[in-house]
Amino acid sequence: MNIGFTMMNHLKKRLTSLLVTLVALTSATFANAAPVPATGWGLPRDVSVDGHKIDWLINATTFFITILFVIMCIWMAAAVVKHGKDHQAEYDHGDSGHHVAFAMAISAVIFLVVDGNLWFNSTIDVNTTFWNYTEAEKHPEAVRIEINAHQWAWDARYAGPDGKFNTADDIVTLNDIRVPVGVPILFQLASTDVIHSFSLPNLRIKQDAMPGMINRMWTTAKETGEFDIACTQHCGTHHYKMKGLLTILKMDEYKSWSDKMSRIHARGYDPKDQAAKWGWAWKKADTNDDGISVEGKPKSAALAPERSQSVSLAPEARN
Amino acid sequence: MHNVVQLHPQALLEQRRNEQTSAIGMMVALGSWGMMFAALFFMYLGLRAHTLAWPPPGLPALPIALPSLNTVVIGCSSVALVRALRSMREGQRRPASLWMLATFVLGLAFVGLQTLLWWTTWQQGLTPSTGTLGTVFYSLTVLHALHVAAGLAVLAYLLGMTLGGRSMAERVTTLRLCGMFWHFVGGVWAFMFVGMFLL
Amino acid sequence: MQGVMTPADIEAAQHLQHIHETPKSFVKHYVFSIDHKYIAKQFLWAGLLFLFFGGMLAMLIRWQWAYPGEAVPVVGNLLFPDTQGAITPPTYNTIFTTHGLIMIFFAITPIMIGCFGNFCIPLMIGARDMAFPWLNLLSFWIFALSQALVLASFCVELGSAAAGWTTYPPLASQVGTPGLGQSLMVLALFVTGVSTIMGAINYITTVIRFRAPGMTWFRMPGTVWGLWLTSILNALFVPVLGSAGLMLLFDRHFGTQFFLTGAAGGTGDPILFQHLFWIFGHPEVYILILPIWGFVIDFMSFFARKPAYWFRGSIYAMITVTVLSAVVYGHHMFVTGMSPLLGQAFMLLTLVISVPAEILFLNWLHTIWKGSIRLTVPMLFGLGTIFVFGLGGLTGIYLGTISTDLYLHDTMFVVGHFHLTMASAAFLGSFGALYLWFPKMYGRLMNPFLGKVHFWFSTVGLTLVFGFQMLAGYAGQQRRLYDPFQYSYLEGLQDLNRFTTYCAFALAIGQLAFVYNFFYSLFAGKRASQNPWELGTIEWTDCASPPVHHNFDRIPVVYRGPHEYNHPEVLEKLGRDWIGQTEEFDPAADAATSDEVAATA
Repeated sequence: MNIGFTMMNHLKKRLTSLLVTLVALTSATFANAAPVPATGWGLPRDVSVDGHKIDWLINATTFFITILFVIMCIWMAAAVVKHGKDHQAEYDHGDSGHHVAFAMAISAVIFLVVDGNLWFNSTIDVNTTFWNYTEAEKHPEAVRIEINAHQWAWDARYAGPDGKFNTADDIVTLNDIRVPVGVPILFQLASTDVIHSFSLPNLRIKQDAMPGMINRMWTTAKETGEFDIACTQHCGTHHYKMKGLLTILKMDEYKSWSDKMSRIHARGYDPKDQAAKWGWAWKKADTNDDGISVEGKPKSAALAPERSQSVSLAPEARN
Repeated sequence: MHNVVQLHPQALLEQRRNEQTSAIGMMVALGSWGMMFAALFFMYLGLRAHTLAWPPPGLPALPIALPSLNTVVIGCSSVALVRALRSMREGQRRPASLWMLATFVLGLAFVGLQTLLWWTTWQQGLTPSTGTLGTVFYSLTVLHALHVAAGLAVLAYLLGMTLGGRSMAERVTTLRLCGMFWHFVGGVWAFMFVGMFLL
Repeated sequence: MQGVMTPADIEAAQHLQHIHETPKSFVKHYVFSIDHKYIAKQFLWAGLLFLFFGGMLAMLIRWQWAYPGEAVPVVGNLLFPDTQGAITPPTYNTIFTTHGLIMIFFAITPIMIGCFGNFCIPLMIGARDMAFPWLNLLSFWIFALSQALVLASFCVELGSAAAGWTTYPPLASQVGTPGLGQSLMVLALFVTGVSTIMGAINYITTVIRFRAPGMTWFRMPGTVWGLWLTSILNALFVPVLGSAGLMLLFDRHFGTQFFLTGAAGGTGDPILFQHLFWIFGHPEVYILILPIWGFVIDFMSFFARKPAYWFRGSIYAMITVTVLSAVVYGHHMFVTGMSPLLGQAFMLLTLVISVPAEILFLNWLHTIWKGSIRLTVPMLFGLGTIFVFGLGGLTGIYLGTISTDLYLHDTMFVVGHFHLTMASAAFLGSFGALYLWFPKMYGRLMNPFLGKVHFWFSTVGLTLVFGFQMLAGYAGQQRRLYDPFQYSYLEGLQDLNRFTTYCAFALAIGQLAFVYNFFYSLFAGKRASQNPWELGTIEWTDCASPPVHHNFDRIPVVYRGPHEYNHPEVLEKLGRDWIGQTEEFDPAADAATSDEVAATA
């Protein structure tokens, strides 16, 4: 299976270089350091190692469907112009064998080329990259972050030097996620109240944060800089303000930041403060995929209730 | 056995065709209804699949004796309704009325026993807000009982018509449709009995 | 009823359906009518009213995206006096939520299915009325009740629903969205669902039982096929939404915990709601497009004056889509943490839908090719439908594919895509149908020039508005943002959003051409002849404009399919390019066709 994927990947790379030259489409013109306001209409700047796979697939599909759409429009226009009122219509039910065969053949070709390309590449990309958590977990320097979403902010938790969550050396931040460049960053997502969706447009990836579930997501950054974290699931009155900042740092910068933060957090750690221990034991990559913990109850029900109540789900928010 | 159907052959044909049309409509309606209950079952199975121990720890197990009895009761009522329809087709007013009465009484008994069931579980501390067990148990059984009650209302109307000496030939279609609905509701109960109380 | 009809068969058909007396009292005629044609008109008016309502809500959303938080011009002070005309975030949430729900359930559905389903099915298959006229009456008045509930939801404290049209809990729970408005809206959905199912029961049964003698399955027009298949989907999947809505109401008011977890308190599972919602929701998008496909199949043939190309293939394609629509819903949930294996299965099934869609497109294009095209208003709307549906359909494949969906999910790209398919195509198709059948409904002709003005404004407007929305989504703009420009990566999109808004306003203004045309023609339009478009389907050949109360004095006998245009022999002998389905032409040939049809049916 894996060998198969590797081969297909190789094949795909060659196809990519071929098609990239064919696909001359909108490319974004962005200032170097976001969140400096962006200009232009195209895809946001891609700062992930794998995002180009998605961009390529989007653009290649745009290329194909543009051809199909243009053919359709020309066909309609030509028919209207050529075969108007004065043209004698041909009496033809179009159900003879060769007509049917022609229609089937055309449909099959379109399906195999356009949908086939999408299916083929997406299947490889999803299995080798985007949903391949096993591979990402194996990386020795992988960064693990737990995200707890609530109305209307993102809590992030890093395990700290001991590698365990909910301990004294955890780093906990609000709407501020810092990651190093070049290594896999693994997220596990939960929500306190309603459904949110954790989206990193510049890394081309998103995943829902659901109450009662632990969802996963991973990516690798290839450039440093500051980028927006967006919520893409309607989550109430201030959904549009549920914005975070993703800072991609060089590895040494990240290490010095995390060491410093870890020390600071350890000093302020209060073992009696249950509300601060909203994290969970990191879910292994090879456990079941549906976010159900082995205790038989949804994980984030274990999130501290005190915290849940303090979260602003208050009616007055909706005046 | 006297044949009360003294309709013109053409009219008889028309009536039979209309009955078939109505039966097709009812089948579509029941398909629809079935999907509604299927969605509820999907929900029940989904919630149950998320909980390793069922009933969830700290909650009482659902009783089994009363629902078993109720299964028998609703099964018998379906049989009685089949007999009622047969008698009505044959134009026998007295047996038709008696069988319908039996169906009605059994249906009423079913609702009564369900109420007893709810009372028992409520006494044991199970309310609609006690976890997913209470949620699905009350929602599904109450919705189902409402359907039984609706069936009972139609049965009562038909019984009144038949006892009141109205033409039975005209009511055959209504009773047949009522019967289809009644068997459907019984079938839903069978699913519920196996899915919720036995397993 | 198939194949060669004996006189006895034809006679029997006459007696199957009674001739109801024309009602004399005002109430029975105009309020509680059991006449399918009148109920169709009731649905039309109710739907148009809410289409206007939903359209105005759309304009408010567009204003908000162009000028976030700024006072709405003209109507602002009237609508939002507390904020000097500005839309607040909670109000904005209500606006986009109710826009979606109103448009889908209370505008498109009644117009497309309620009105044309009721009007066309009995007339086009040669029936005197629906199978269950009283159920039909009930269906409309229950629908009216649901509309009243929608209006009521705006009048309660905290306003109407605000949890998005998808109504996902826990946001849709009492904790996330307090107030009676959300509950009333969910209740309205349940009630309208009951009405829809009643309609579906009627349509399905009528088509099965009340086809005129000789009206075999493949002699039914595409319109009837589309409406019939839609009814099947309605009957099967609307109850799933009803069930989900009911459970949501239980959660909101009776203390159950189906979907409640986390801060909302409980051990339920919100993702199961999404499953139920999309088990309904994906068939729903085909519910809203199958009748349109049916219209387009017919319109292309009617006005290219040419038989529908591979009609049977189109019908098979529609049936295939109907079946597939039930098993692809998972693509709405790719980013919810779905198991990869399930995700990939849903991806493959979703992509397979493009095969029948391609067959349909090819058949439409082949139908008009080598035809003798009359660019009438319904034909223009039909061509416009193909155009917007082509654009919307093709862009759908990005969203059915996992990796591209990871980026595009929940962006404006999705909004643009589904507005092109189930909004624009449904809009243009329905209006095309209205222009086509208006003469039959009201006995008067509509003004073709104003119709063309309406067409150009609508088609260009819809394409630009939703095309630009897709562009915004491609650049990453999320849907449902009160102020998109809070995000720095979206700040470059201000001009695009403003321009889209101007297009939307132009689109709205263009609708005035329709409003004027509709009311003017209703009262002062030229009287329509029985068959102004020279079509061969039964409602034009066998019914007056408007038809009499019982449609047909004698149930007609059908000899051929609905698309017999420019038949060489007919041209030669009758000197016209069309022949009615019920016209006896050449008994030997007619009998032969019916045998052939019967053998393959």
